[in-house]
Amino acid sequence: MTASPLPFSLGYGTNGFTDHPLSVALDLLAEQGYGAVALTLGHPHLDPFAEDLAEQLQALRKTLGELNLRVVIETGTRFLLDPRHKHRPALVDEEAASRVGFLRRAVDIAAQLEAECVSFFSGVLPDGTSPETGWQRLTERVAGVVEYARDKGVLLAVEPEPGMLVETVSDALRLRAELDNPDNLRITVDIGHCVVVEPDGIRGALLEAGPLLANVQLDDMRPHAHEHLPFGEGTVDLPLALGTLAELNYRGVAAVELPRHSHDAPGLATRSIAALGDAWAESVRSRESERWLQESTTAVTADPSTLTTVFAQAGRRLGRTPLYPDADPTGVLFGTTSDSARGLLLGRLGELLPPEEFALALSALYDGGDSAERRGVLRGLATLAARSPKLPDVVVIAGLRLTTEALRTNESGLVAAAVGPFAAAHLDQHSWRHAVLKLVFMGVSLRAVTDLQERADDELARMAGDFAAERTAAGRPVPDDVTLLLATSSHSTTF
Amino acid sequence: MRIFDPHIHMTSRTTNDYEALYASGVRALVEPAFWLGQPRTNVGSFLDYFDSLLGWERFRAAQFGIRHHATIALNPKEANDPRCVPILEEIPRYLVKEGVVAVGEIGYDSMTPAEDHAFSRQLELALEYSLPVMVHTPHREKLAGTHRTLDVVRESGIAPGMVVVDHLNETNVEIVKDAGAWMGFSIYPDTKMDEQRMVAILSRYGTERVLVNSAADWGRSDPLKTARTAHAMLDAGFTADDVDQVLWRNPVEFYGQSGQLILDPIPGFDAAEPPNATAGFEGNSVLRGARA
Repeated sequence: MTASPLPFSLGYGTNGFTDHPLSVALDLLAEQGYGAVALTLGHPHLDPFAEDLAEQLQALRKTLGELNLRVVIETGTRFLLDPRHKHRPALVDEEAASRVGFLRRAVDIAAQLEAECVSFFSGVLPDGTSPETGWQRLTERVAGVVEYARDKGVLLAVEPEPGMLVETVSDALRLRAELDNPDNLRITVDIGHCVVVEPDGIRGALLEAGPLLANVQLDDMRPHAHEHLPFGEGTVDLPLALGTLAELNYRGVAAVELPRHSHDAPGLATRSIAALGDAWAESVRSRESERWLQESTTAVTADPSTLTTVFAQAGRRLGRTPLYPDADPTGVLFGTTSDSARGLLLGRLGELLPPEEFALALSALYDGGDSAERRGVLRGLATLAARSPKLPDVVVIAGLRLTTEALRTNESGLVAAAVGPFAAAHLDQHSWRHAVLKLVFMGVSLRAVTDLQERADDELARMAGDFAAERTAAGRPVPDDVTLLLATSSHSTTF
Repeated sequence: MRIFDPHIHMTSRTTNDYEALYASGVRALVEPAFWLGQPRTNVGSFLDYFDSLLGWERFRAAQFGIRHHATIALNPKEANDPRCVPILEEIPRYLVKEGVVAVGEIGYDSMTPAEDHAFSRQLELALEYSLPVMVHTPHREKLAGTHRTLDVVRESGIAPGMVVVDHLNETNVEIVKDAGAWMGFSIYPDTKMDEQRMVAILSRYGTERVLVNSAADWGRSDPLKTARTAHAMLDAGFTADDVDQVLWRNPVEFYGQSGQLILDPIPGFDAAEPPNATAGFEGNSVLRGARA
C-alpha cells in the first residue's frame, strides 16, 4: 500500500499569522510544505484600499508564483469597514454600500492575483430585522456582486457561518437557487462549523455542497461553541473530512483557519500540516479498507469458494499495523488493521449468507487459517455480537467452539481476540473466568475484555486472590490487573 | 549486522536459540517444511505441522523479535510413503497464506519414481502460485542428484532465478551456478560445509546468488552458523557490504520474489543496523587483507 498524494492543496489562513509580515508568513508556509494560502484582506497584511494597491498586488503575485502557492481571497476582516462594530456593515444590514464596494474590490484583487475564488459570508441579522427582509437584502446585493465577478472571470464562494443568515450549506444552496443558480457563485465549507450547525455533520455538508465546493477551511471545533481550535482539540473527524473531499474529487484549496492563534502561528502551522498528513494517511487506509470490504463482499456473495483466498490476502492488501498504535503498540489487545477488516467482512457476510452456510464458513476459515486469519474470525464474531444480542443458534454454536479453541492456545493475540463481545454475550461463566485469569497470567491487559465489570464475580475475585498469593509466595510481582479483579468482586453476577 | 537465515528449522529449537539468534543479528528467517525425524504416517500430521509453522512458530519467533516465514511442501523422503502423498492436494491452500515464501523443501532423497512425481507436481504448483522453490539435494549421491535436479527444474519451465538448490558443496556449486539458479549452503558443525570452506567458495565464485544458512534442526547443528560465517568473511577480508549482501540482501531478493516477505521490525524490537561499509567491525578494520 503506497501513500497517494492529496488531490487538493493544503493551505493556511493569513488571519492566523497576524504577528508576521505577509512575506515572512508566506515564506514560512511554503517552507513547511503548504501549497496554498488563504489571504484575508485588510489589517495587517494587505490593505484593499491602499493607494499603491496595484504595485503591492503585482509584487505579491510574483512572490506567490515563486513560492508555488495557490491563493484564495478571504473577506472576513473584523473591523475593516466599521472600526467600532465587528463584521459591519453586513450584506443583511439596511445600509451595506461599503460592504458591497469592498466585495467588488475583493473581486478586483482576486482577478489580479489569479486567486481561486473570493469567499464571503452573509452576516448576522440586525436586531428587529425579519429573515424575509434579510434574504431580500442578501439576494439583491449578492446578485450585483455575482454579475460584477462574472465580468471579471472570478468565482465567488459563500461561506455558511454559525449565527449568520446563511448558516448551513442548505442555506447557501437556497441563496443560489434564489439567484437562478449562477455558475460563478459557489460554496465555502468550514469543517469546524459543520460540527456546530450542520444537521448531517461534516460529511453530509461536504456531500451536499458537492461539485459546488470552491473553498474549504480546516480547523477543529466542539459542537456547542463556534471557536476555531487546533486539530485534536475538538470533535472534528479529520480523516473523514479529507476522505470525503477526495471522494468528491475536490481539487481546490483547503486551508487551516485559526484566526485566534497568531501568537503561536509557526508552531501551529507545523503541527497542523503534520496532523493533516496523518489524517490523510488514515483516510487512505480506511478508504482502501472499505474498498476491499466491498470488493470482497461482492466476490464472495457471487462465488463463496473465493472466501478462503480473499480472507488470506487481507494482510497483504491492508497491512498489519496495530489498529490503535498509541493505546496498543503491539496490536495484541485490539488487533491490527487486517484483523479488523477481516472481522468487518465477516460482519457483512453474516447478514448476507444463510446462517448454516455462514457458520460452516466461520469454522472453515478458523480451522484452515493462520494465526492472523483466526484472529480475524474471532473479530468477526465480535462484530456480530456487538451488533446483535441474538445470533442464530448455529452461529453461536460454531462461535463457541472457535472461542474455546482460541482460549486453549497460548498465543496472546488469539486469547485477547477471544474475550470480546461474543464471549461476553455467549461464553459460560466458568470458561469466561478462566479466560480472564489466563490473560492476567500471560501478562495481557484486561482492557481486551468486553464487559469485565458486568461479568466479574466473587469466584473470579477468589481466583485472582489465589493467583496473587501464589505470585507473592514465589517472590514475583503481582500484575496490576489482579488488583482490578479483586476490586470488581463487590457484586456477584449469575450467568 | 543484520542477518536473514534462509533455512532453519526452529520448531526443533529452544527459546535460548531464539535469544541467541536475535543477539547475533538475526531479524528474519525462513523455516522450510521438512520431516521431523520420526516418520509421519498420515495427512493430518502434515496439516498440524504446516499450521504450526504458520501459527505457533511464527508467534514464538515474534516474541523474540524475529520475523518468521515458511516454505511449504511434501518433502522428498516422505513422498515415498503412499499414506502421506495425498497431502499434495492440501498444499495449494497453504501457498496463498501470508509469509509462505516458497514451495519447499522439494527434490530428491533416494531418487525414486514417487519422488519424481512429488517433485514435478510441486514445481507445477510453484509455477501456478508464482512462488520460488527451495530444492534439497540428496545427502547420498549428491552430484548425480544435483544433475538430475537441474534437469527436472529445466523441464518444468520455471525460471532458474526462482530456484535455490540447497546444501551445496565444492563438488556441485559450479553446475548450479551455470544453470542460473541460486546456490544455497548449509553450514554445519562437521558435515555439509563449514565457515572456512564457505569463505573459500565465496572467494572463488563471488557473492551473487549465494544463500548461506544454518539449516539447524533436531540434529547436531548450530543456529549461529550464519553469524559465524559473517565473521569468517570479515576476517578473510570481505567488506561489511559483502556480508550484508550474502546474509541479508540475497535472501531478501530471492524470497522477495514471492511478494510475501514481511520485514518491518516487530513492534517493541529494533531493526538490526545495516552495515556501514566504512566502519570497523568488532575491532577489526573491515578492509583488512586483500579483497578476493
